[in-house]
Amino acid sequence: MRGLQVSLNQTQKIRLQRALETLESISSKANSDASVVVADTIPLNYEDGVLKGHGTLDLYGEVVATICGVVERVNKLIYVRALRARYKPEVGDIIVGRVTEVAPKRWRLDINYSQDAVLMLSSMNLPDGIQRRRTAVDELNMRTIFEENDVICAEVRGFQHDGLHLQARSQKYGKLERGQLLTVSPYLVKRRKQHFHHLEQYGIDLILGCNGFIWIGEHVDPTEDMMVEDPINKSEQKGSKFEGSFGNQVQERIYTPLETRQNICRTANAIRVLSILGFIMSVEVIMETVSLSISLNIDVHEMLGSEFCVLTAEKEAERRTSSKKRG
Amino acid sequence: MKGLSVGEKLFIEGGIAQDLRTDGRRRLTYRPISVETDVISQANGSARVRMGGTEVIATVKAELGRPNAMQPDKGKVSIFVDCSPTAEPTFEGRGGEELATELSVSLERCLLGGKSGAGAGIDLSSLIVVEGKLCWDLYIEGLVVSSDGNLLDALGAAIKAALSNTGIPKVNVSAEASANEQPEVDVSDEEFLQFDTSGVPVIVTLTKVGRHYIVDATLEEESQMSSAISISVNRHCHVCGLTKRGGAGVDPSVILDMISVGKHVSEQLLNKLDSEIAAAEADEEE
Repeated sequence: MRGLQVSLNQTQKIRLQRALETLESISSKANSDASVVVADTIPLNYEDGVLKGHGTLDLYGEVVATICGVVERVNKLIYVRALRARYKPEVGDIIVGRVTEVAPKRWRLDINYSQDAVLMLSSMNLPDGIQRRRTAVDELNMRTIFEENDVICAEVRGFQHDGLHLQARSQKYGKLERGQLLTVSPYLVKRRKQHFHHLEQYGIDLILGCNGFIWIGEHVDPTEDMMVEDPINKSEQKGSKFEGSFGNQVQERIYTPLETRQNICRTANAIRVLSILGFIMSVEVIMETVSLSISLNIDVHEMLGSEFCVLTAEKEAERRTSSKKRG
Repeated sequence: MKGLSVGEKLFIEGGIAQDLRTDGRRRLTYRPISVETDVISQANGSARVRMGGTEVIATVKAELGRPNAMQPDKGKVSIFVDCSPTAEPTFEGRGGEELATELSVSLERCLLGGKSGAGAGIDLSSLIVVEGKLCWDLYIEGLVVSSDGNLLDALGAAIKAALSNTGIPKVNVSAEASANEQPEVDVSDEEFLQFDTSGVPVIVTLTKVGRHYIVDATLEEESQMSSAISISVNRHCHVCGLTKRGGAGVDPSVILDMISVGKHVSEQLLNKLDSEIAAAEADEEE
């Protein structure tokens, strides 16, 4: 069993073991030769010629894996993609990151990659929405758009000579507020058509960043987000700062409504449980976990307990078995 | 610890004001606690305690030594804490030293009683072998393996668990030596004496964020704190120690209020911890 961070009693251990075995038996047939551990031989077709890539080693005429992961083949190149590694960006990925530095004409972002990503001032829409050349004044006012430590959402544009570049040329990208950021292993988030999810029944936004940063927050309408609302948002924010120092009655009003907050916390804990168990995050699985917890009438903080962890594993095993049968 | 954006800070503060924190807990709810005993075989007693993302290891090592001339009938106990850089990169080198000293001083205040050793959670007179000549020195060491807030409470709990796991070898004083000489001893490696740990207090830290206070704050919540008060409470609901961190002032009436809340919370924590320690020791015997 994996090194789980929850303490289980004897029956829970057996139940979890059984659920994990079921999951393993389903998955192993499909791609058993694709996943390797250290010192596994990678089967090859020598006639085509081989280019050994990352995580492989030539040992006595055989190509052997030096890390645990999944074997990837691109034409002649063979490499092993490690599972628990840092995020490896691909062009077009939607990511969530945190601003680490405001530099000349650019922001630097921590996106769990081996180097910081760069978001140029010129590769994002201005708050006023007008397309024009960025002036020196714009550059001076960069902190009114994003400050240090702000959490923002953007898209991977590509590699340039000075590193990884991002872009945020749409209204759906930008600063994320009123919510919480979770970090999971990047391999748990698969690339999909849709990474922005508005869960209408709960009134929350869920952004599954490809880099394993997941944002869960109060829903904001993208149409009025950056272009029109921003100056008002800004003033509201400034107002709240002042009110905070004067009186709490005023501040109470601008807090996230309790019901929405409950939904945010419940979803967050569902993601935490899935991350502990190492299950792939998709919006369907997350929502199923959330509704499982609601249907069992489990308190939000009890979702992180061992019992719910086992229940989730059993549920997932059941779900995958049934979907396999149908398929 | 990475910084938080304004929106996140507001979200955390709002959650505490609305009694629903970011991980769904109420203000006075602890994260799940798990205890493992006898994790380090070289030590006389050891325990690993996990509280959510916080993980600490405490060990107790007993060595024979000479008692202090001022207190010939008492043994000696000292507490050291080390913050490992695996917990946070900033602890690398001497980076963790400041926090480690702060933690060990607070722990000494909370657990060891006065200078004379009177009223300590550990009964020092039980450590004496030959009065004035030979006693056990207990070296209690805490190691922070991963840090997600509330380190002091976790260390306190780990030390309590480690002490209840500790076996002190039985010592047979073989020959009666003259007044100036050290007596000859024979340390048994089969017979061990257990400690009475019922008097060891638990530590409850109440962290004040905004107008409210919370127990078991995570690292993110701790970054928003104005001040924190750690109260150590024993089985009889008596306050054994009190330390305050953070520069912000607290009204005395609020402190009294926090103490009574802390006492109430500590009772639940003690029961929870005792059952966890018992379960861990039962696990170990299997």
